[in-house]
Amino acid sequence: MRKLLIYLKPYKGKIALATLLMAISAVCDLLLPTLMSSVLDKGVYGAAEGNTFPYILKIAGLMLATSLVSLAAVAGGFWMVFHVVAGYTWSLRSALFRKVHTMTLEEVGRQGASNLVTRASHDVGTLNWVISALCGEILIIPMMFLGALFLCMRKDFRLSLVILCAVPLLIGAGLLMSKKIEQLWEVSDDYCDKQNDLVRERLRGVRVIRAFNREQYAHERVTDATKVMADNIIRANVRMELIDPAAAFVLNTAALLVVFLGGVRMERGSGLTAGDIFAMIQYINIILGAIVSVSYDIVLLPHVRVAVRRLRQITESKGLEDERPAEGLRFSGAIDLDRASFTYPGSSLPALADVDLHIRAGEWVSVIGGTGSGKTTLAELLLAFRLPTEGSLRFDGRNSVDISNKDIRANISCSLQKSMLYSGTVAENLRMGKPDATDEELWAALELAQVADFIREQPKGLNFKLEQAGTNVSGGQKQRLAIARAILKEAPIYIFDDSFSALDFLTEAKVRKALNEKLAGRTRIVITQRVVSAMHCDRIFVLADGALAGVGTHAELLESCSIYREIFLSQTGGGLA
Amino acid sequence: MTISEFKDELDLSEEAEETEETEEAEEKKGKRRLFDETGKRLLKEIWPLRGWILLAACICLLLIGCAIAEPELLGKLIDKLYDWTKDPAPGLARSLLPGLGILLAVYAAEGLMTYGKFYLLTNIVSRFFCAGFRIRISEKLRRLPVSFVDKTPAGDVIDRMMDDVGNMSDSIFIVVDILLSGLLQMLVIAVILFLTDWRMAIPVVLLAPLSVFLSTRMAALGEKHWDKHWDLGGKLTSLAEESFTNYPTTKAFCREEEIQKKYDALSQRHQRRGILGRFLSSIVQPVIATVNALAYIAVTVVGGWLILNRGVAIGTVVTIILFARRLSSPLERVAFGLGYVQQIKGAAKRVFKLLDTPEEEDPAGTVEGPTQGHVVFEHVDFSYDPDKPLIRDLSLEVQPGQKVAIVGPTGAGKTTIVNLLMRFYDIQGGRVLIDGQDASTLSRAENRRLFAMVLQDTWLFKGTVAENVAYGSPGVSRDEIERVCDQAYCDHFIRRLPQGYDTVISEDSTAVSSGQKQLLTIARAMLAGRPLLILDEATSNVDTRTELLIQKAMDRLMGGRTCFVIAHRLSTIVDADLILVLRDGQIVEQGTHKTLLAQKGFYYELFQSQYAI
Repeated sequence: MRKLLIYLKPYKGKIALATLLMAISAVCDLLLPTLMSSVLDKGVYGAAEGNTFPYILKIAGLMLATSLVSLAAVAGGFWMVFHVVAGYTWSLRSALFRKVHTMTLEEVGRQGASNLVTRASHDVGTLNWVISALCGEILIIPMMFLGALFLCMRKDFRLSLVILCAVPLLIGAGLLMSKKIEQLWEVSDDYCDKQNDLVRERLRGVRVIRAFNREQYAHERVTDATKVMADNIIRANVRMELIDPAAAFVLNTAALLVVFLGGVRMERGSGLTAGDIFAMIQYINIILGAIVSVSYDIVLLPHVRVAVRRLRQITESKGLEDERPAEGLRFSGAIDLDRASFTYPGSSLPALADVDLHIRAGEWVSVIGGTGSGKTTLAELLLAFRLPTEGSLRFDGRNSVDISNKDIRANISCSLQKSMLYSGTVAENLRMGKPDATDEELWAALELAQVADFIREQPKGLNFKLEQAGTNVSGGQKQRLAIARAILKEAPIYIFDDSFSALDFLTEAKVRKALNEKLAGRTRIVITQRVVSAMHCDRIFVLADGALAGVGTHAELLESCSIYREIFLSQTGGGLA
Repeated sequence: MTISEFKDELDLSEEAEETEETEEAEEKKGKRRLFDETGKRLLKEIWPLRGWILLAACICLLLIGCAIAEPELLGKLIDKLYDWTKDPAPGLARSLLPGLGILLAVYAAEGLMTYGKFYLLTNIVSRFFCAGFRIRISEKLRRLPVSFVDKTPAGDVIDRMMDDVGNMSDSIFIVVDILLSGLLQMLVIAVILFLTDWRMAIPVVLLAPLSVFLSTRMAALGEKHWDKHWDLGGKLTSLAEESFTNYPTTKAFCREEEIQKKYDALSQRHQRRGILGRFLSSIVQPVIATVNALAYIAVTVVGGWLILNRGVAIGTVVTIILFARRLSSPLERVAFGLGYVQQIKGAAKRVFKLLDTPEEEDPAGTVEGPTQGHVVFEHVDFSYDPDKPLIRDLSLEVQPGQKVAIVGPTGAGKTTIVNLLMRFYDIQGGRVLIDGQDASTLSRAENRRLFAMVLQDTWLFKGTVAENVAYGSPGVSRDEIERVCDQAYCDHFIRRLPQGYDTVISEDSTAVSSGQKQLLTIARAMLAGRPLLILDEATSNVDTRTELLIQKAMDRLMGGRTCFVIAHRLSTIVDADLILVLRDGQIVEQGTHKTLLAQKGFYYELFQSQYAI
């Protein structure tokens, strides 16, 4: 927790001021019952003896001033607190976001992207809530509580013992209850997730479900989950709501005890007045309010613990990504992998084993292999997302570990397996690799990627807005836009990782032709499962189970490499062997 | 730390773009009245529960009675203490006892009733209202057209079913527990105040509406910022999601700094709205408390004056003062309830909209006699979007037992044919005849019963392997399932799963590979044993050996049936009886592989493109 609180440091002054303002307001709120009891005691009851009206007016004026000061102080306090909270949340989010980009692909993968998102939004949100509660409620409530207790004790110490007995009783009961309720909530959350999954599954499978006439069954599955969830929610809710009436009853009983024992003490002549007892009852109400608010906060405490733990996993992760600045190196395009192996942490088998791969500058090569053959790992090695666990990678003969990642990536343009587009306009997406590209250049790239017609059809043209993850374009269009983006970036090396899989053969052939014209003379690496995408390259590398199974031209490999032949036959039916 | 400072001040130029959006949204919402269409409909939905609600309301009334009796009783006890001060007589403590006993009983009754009321409301709300709506939505999903499901993100439907229904069901709490009981309590207190002494009642009754007005205004103002805050929060999460999932691309294009700036700026806007929203909603309670203190002060002053100048009894004044204090909690509740009603109506509107979505029509026709599998398309027209005609005047005839391949580039309308055959979408012109019977006269279920289907997008539900295979034919014996799985080349890998046929799998399960999932869907179709077959073949992400098995299983499945094969790879359909070449929704060529190649037309071009440079 402390590590996460350092982001509060710049706000020390504001926090102190907020605390002061809140304290002023708390004092005012505590003063009010005292004033009320004295106006009753001396003013109203005293009216029987003489003209107390001036006194009433005086106290009324004081009360007015007190409540206005209290309002002003509490408003000022909240204003401060929420600024602190906002600033804190902002800095924490910003730091987290930055942290993610200092992590390596390996670290990001281990955490999981959706996990990271939950942390940046949900967990930070939880902390945001805690901090506002800390500065607001949690600050005032103990003050009110202790203040009220102190005032009670000042009125009559022995009578206050009644309250002192009731409070721990309540807090203990609240803590016990909160544990039980938490479990119940967890169960009902589980059912909630289950129901969500069922509905999601049902919507995704709408065609299959209807094809097999199983809508009734799908409906019943959802209905059953709904009913179970309702039962659980009821159980949790019903327990939770026990806190309120129980606390009220205990404290009200305490108030009655105070009245009775107060009466006894008055009779004995302890100097206690009726007004004192009246005031004490008011204080008990304040204490009651404080305890109820705290009990609601306590229920939420476990969430905070979870959030803090999860956030720390990120803020305290190492962040091993290379942060060296770019030197502005320019590669020729020659790439050498010397007996490189890569084993994923925790895995016993290497994903790439002893791969010797030498690509000449300007060569057009392909890496072909099925799922799990190590193709994507290879792409990740080339882009410096991973370092070979054995062997080395060299660009122009220079070991990649001696070059900054930024330099390596500046020299490679790529279109990756899952065509990742960003929400924003087409132009913004395309300009990622070349911020100063002109509209003509953009159109030329779109033209080459065979997607210009589609963009032209859009009323907004280049300003056509892509949704997050490109959900408003088809898979093929996404791939083509990613290809256009890759073409636009000037680099000596181009990598197309599974970039044509959603294109039909005709379109792919056109894209391939255009690419070869535009990128002639640059190193091109086409990573693919499709034999059609590979067969025309200068050289083809066949990967199987992480090892290089063959190198050569299409014709050579058909002769020499059984794996390549198998792939070819299964995909083309041997049609044009 | 290299963190730039968070800026507090609202930058208006940046906000300008936002306000535009907000105003637009405001206009859409129209005037915020309590009983508009949605409000009325919500009440109508609550109406069947009126018996229970009435019961809860009765308890509320009793609780109000307690709330009123308590200060009265306590006041009397305190009075005794005051009286004793003036005239100290022995036996004070003893004389307090009866009053204390009664109060204790009242407190106990109050606690029990509070709990009872809550228990009642929770049960009504969760079991009947909430679960009822969720079941209705689920029921609705059965009858919604596939086009709706295609267009609506699953998250949207889930949000409505879960969050919106949850918020809606709060309406019962709000109406009964907060608004109704709050208003009743206020009314009762006002009446008592007037009956006790109207002169002192006036300041209280005048100030109460003021505090309701102030607090609802503030809450409404705050809500505007909250809405924006949530909205921006959603955008912020999306941005984080996007950057984290796109990590490799971001890094490969060295865009970290740009994205960080974008994120920080958005986060800042998000927080600024948060400050305003939080602030406004937080000071509602203090404002009410202050107004209430004003009422208290006014009552004290007026009361003091009345005692001195008009000879009003001290006890009367004390009672009124205590009641004036009691007014603050119902006031706060009513103010809160009124503010909350708007949110509820927003949620209700979304739920009602889903429930009101037009359903698909379903004729009642049935298939007569055994199906041969003769399919005819007569001048069929269809498009997803009226502005972009897709299939125009499509005619074709398929003889029983024929294998028909549909080929063409992406977007040509290949999968649309599946949608039309299965009546996931309705044709907009022409007819589809199955064995001479117009398909549109058949009920959808009857129509679909004719087809088995294997789609590119394999779908398995969360259940055991056996349940999944038997999905289209419930009640089938385990032996039968195993026999079919064996034929579909599934048996060997199923037996290697931890619990064999009883292993629970789902769409995201990693226990079976994507190729194996495909095999399971083939087994599922085989077991269903329908006279016609639709295959949307896809073999990406499948290793070569599994692919071979899939091919063999599909061949076995097709045997003797009329089949429609959506082919992505031309090599698999060279033996088809009929190849339809689609381009922009039109059949541009049809024939067998040989005749089409000989034509040297579009098919030839497609086929060659597989091998072109």
